Amino acid sequence: MLRQLRERFGGPLAVAILSLLGFWLILMVTLPQLQMIDYSLRPNLLPAQQGGPEDGWTLANYATLFANDIHRSIFFKTLWSSVLVTLLTLAVSYPLGWYLAKVATPRQAALCILLLIIPFWINEILRTYSWFIILSFSGPLNEVLMMLGLIDRPIRFLSGDGGVLIGMVYAYILFMVFPVYNAIESLDDNQVRAARDLGAGTIRTHWRIVIPHAKPGIATGCIMTFMLAAGSYAVPSLLGSPGSRWFTQIIYNWFFEGGNWNQGAAYAFLLLVLCIGFMSLVMKIFKVGLGDIAK
Amino acid sequence: MTSQRLMAFGLRFYVVVFFLYLFLPLLVMAAATFNDSRFPTVTPWDGTTLKWFGELAADSGMWQALANSAIVAVGVLCLAVPIGIATALFLNTVSSRAKPFLYALILSPLLTPGVIIGISTLIFWRQLGVSGGIFLTVLGQATFIAAYVMLMVTARLQRFDRTMERAALDLGASQWQMFRRILLPYLKPAIYSAAVIAFLQSFENYNTTLFVVGYDTTLTVYIASKVRTGLTPAVNALGLILILVTVVLAVAYEVKRRRETARSVKGV
Amino acid sequence: MDGSVRLEEVVMRFGDFTAIEKTSLTIGSGEFFSFLGPSGCGKTTLLNMISGFLTPSEGQVLIGGEAMGKVSVNRRPTAMIFQNLALFPLMTVFENIEFGLEVRGVDKRTRREASERLLALVALEGSGPKMVTELSGGQKQRVAIARALAVEPRVLLLDEPLSALDLKLRQHMRAELKAIQRKTGITFIYITHDQGEALTMSDRVAVMSAGRIQQVADPMTLYRSPATGFVAAFVGENNRIRATVIDAEGERVRLDAGSLGELAGRAVGEPRLHNGDSAVLFVRPEHLRPVGEDVSGPRFQATIEAVHFEGAWVMLETRLEAFGELLRVQLGHEVSRQYTDALAVGQRMAFGYDPADAVVLPDDGSPMVDEATGEMVETEQRTKRAGDSHA
Repeated sequence: MLRQLRERFGGPLAVAILSLLGFWLILMVTLPQLQMIDYSLRPNLLPAQQGGPEDGWTLANYATLFANDIHRSIFFKTLWSSVLVTLLTLAVSYPLGWYLAKVATPRQAALCILLLIIPFWINEILRTYSWFIILSFSGPLNEVLMMLGLIDRPIRFLSGDGGVLIGMVYAYILFMVFPVYNAIESLDDNQVRAARDLGAGTIRTHWRIVIPHAKPGIATGCIMTFMLAAGSYAVPSLLGSPGSRWFTQIIYNWFFEGGNWNQGAAYAFLLLVLCIGFMSLVMKIFKVGLGDIAK
Repeated sequence: MTSQRLMAFGLRFYVVVFFLYLFLPLLVMAAATFNDSRFPTVTPWDGTTLKWFGELAADSGMWQALANSAIVAVGVLCLAVPIGIATALFLNTVSSRAKPFLYALILSPLLTPGVIIGISTLIFWRQLGVSGGIFLTVLGQATFIAAYVMLMVTARLQRFDRTMERAALDLGASQWQMFRRILLPYLKPAIYSAAVIAFLQSFENYNTTLFVVGYDTTLTVYIASKVRTGLTPAVNALGLILILVTVVLAVAYEVKRRRETARSVKGV
Repeated sequence: MDGSVRLEEVVMRFGDFTAIEKTSLTIGSGEFFSFLGPSGCGKTTLLNMISGFLTPSEGQVLIGGEAMGKVSVNRRPTAMIFQNLALFPLMTVFENIEFGLEVRGVDKRTRREASERLLALVALEGSGPKMVTELSGGQKQRVAIARALAVEPRVLLLDEPLSALDLKLRQHMRAELKAIQRKTGITFIYITHDQGEALTMSDRVAVMSAGRIQQVADPMTLYRSPATGFVAAFVGENNRIRATVIDAEGERVRLDAGSLGELAGRAVGEPRLHNGDSAVLFVRPEHLRPVGEDVSGPRFQATIEAVHFEGAWVMLETRLEAFGELLRVQLGHEVSRQYTDALAVGQRMAFGYDPADAVVLPDDGSPMVDEATGEMVETEQRTKRAGDSHA
């Protein structure tokens, strides 16, 4: 590797490139992750006990999750809700991706993409906060619904998981729209025309032609959205209630309220395993590789 | 025919609704800034006021948080941009059997939840005696922002015609001169774009920051704590200002990028 | 200044694929020398060894009598003009031309003087401040030439630089390149798959096939006395007729072509032919002419299958009655007018030739031209393989 770099860039630059890459991959990516796993496998000890007889590897921190009903149910709720967020986001994004890629004129598409990018540039916290205002008990949504006579007393949107789901779909939608749009855009228009010409209806055309072509984009969008949803702290802490906690909040509590970092590390690692598992599953279902995901 | 026309109409209607959904929350938040109500809301409307801007300006905690965010963002820029460029050059140059593995490792920060990057950074550096604060925030954020920079630089690098390099060497340039005079100028637009994105990503980051920020406060952490505790429309005023700044930046960036794309297309 | 180039027993291997078989060659200082061959024949590999982008697996390259083994690309007294020109798109014309001087630390005024002088040489005065992206194809070509000449190379290497231009411009640039070469006295090494380019510009041409130099000669010799079957088939057009040698004594060789009767031609190749050897007679389409029943000597009785009117001449595709093989005949203006009525599909005609114009070579199984497509059968396979291992 050094040889190829030196041939192209010369010695000093090759060394600089490898140093930066090594610093990043070793000190910022790999070792911290390994350290976290190591942490998760050790008991939470007082400084005096460290290195003592009790300091050894154990799976006790992982057993906690299965012993604690509340934590376990939150873990699975986080899993299912994140899957739900992913599917909802896909359902909302696909028609838009299709519109941008194949229906809109180039000028319309350019305008829409600019409009899409603007909220993306705005803080996740602020985007979530605006939903907090809308969904609050005396907020505009309740007012509008009451004015229309659809309800006769305000609804507590923020007490269940509903608010969290809405906020997450809103917060992560662009991570779905762009990969789907990019993938559909590379489809040859003539394929769609040919399918239509051969008598396929709209749904069949999408099911047989467009979606198979857009697979890598859909997979990328799903993986990113799931990862962001399962790993979200901002949205559930702003739009959720004490009764609808997210797994990330449990992790946070282990670190900064329970003071048991080892336990927190074990939970964090489980969250990572969850995301890796979902990613592998999606890549397998859609038969795409890592190279397709980084567009 | 009619069913297809209905479908097309439905799609257009959907797009309009989608963009309403995208922007309405932001408008509501902006509007709430001007409501003379103790709580951030637009209903009921208690009269129009600008006093929340004044209150925001007087909030020294906010100014401190803003300064911290700026320091962190600059730190991330200085770390993530060189790493991202180096990684892109590495991937573009090297072919080795270990490359698929390295590539997966390089992409992994993008596919790892932000909280986990924060947690692992926090744990690792505590072992070395460093506790949470601005320094760790920079490291934690740069971990995944470097990967974004890498993707953006790689996208441009892939379109680079390597005959250009050969031509430079053939004309007597050293490899360093080739890099300085040919490759770097070519990558410049992508590097600037990546720097802007890196700055914004850092500025708006919450999930990673939350774990590594320690007793310091960045703007997003500050806003989040305000939202959960002493909630007043001053937060909206801050939000509105941030939105306006980002909108202006976003539009400027897009316009510049499009102009450059148009020019490069014409050039080829 | 000695701009001679010597290749001493160079070999180039990529893995187990040998791109260049053992080759030795000397190119004189100030010569316009071309490597001609189909794509994948190894000519670009040779050029890259001279420029220093590739190091030969065996043997060595000498420029001006100096061994180049330890001399890296950026220190060799060569300059290359690339197929896609590789102008620096973010620089002006001036900056492009001066780049080579800039990296050598030449001061700004001297640089500007040099580039002004070179722009005058390539007839582009006043274009210096323009961006190269604003130039036309021909102008870019000239900038590329000026940029290469700016570093005062002893050898200029040209890698099919005209292939991107349209026909008119290409022909014009041929004359211009030749003129520049004469004016500067620099050794030009030109590689191309276009025989027209090689034959019109070069002092000498090396015809290459399958990693081997087939023949090195001046254009006239190459055309009149091809040394191998490949050269005969690749340079210009040729009809091939297989036959057995019956008299190999002297310059004129007599052949037995079975039902076609006795044929004759000049022997040019090495090794010499012996009686009983199987051989190939090459007759160019333009050397065939209609003959009457009464004329003695070699004659081909054939049926016309197609008539292509090309303006200055007529090309006939005929089928040999005896062999069933294709025979292409090119008739000049005078002759075709004389035979206007006879030149129709289905007509039978007899063609003869002067044995002094025909060449007899050993039947070495060298690459043959595919009758239907006119392509080199074996070469094509080789191209594919070469492409695999280079990329």
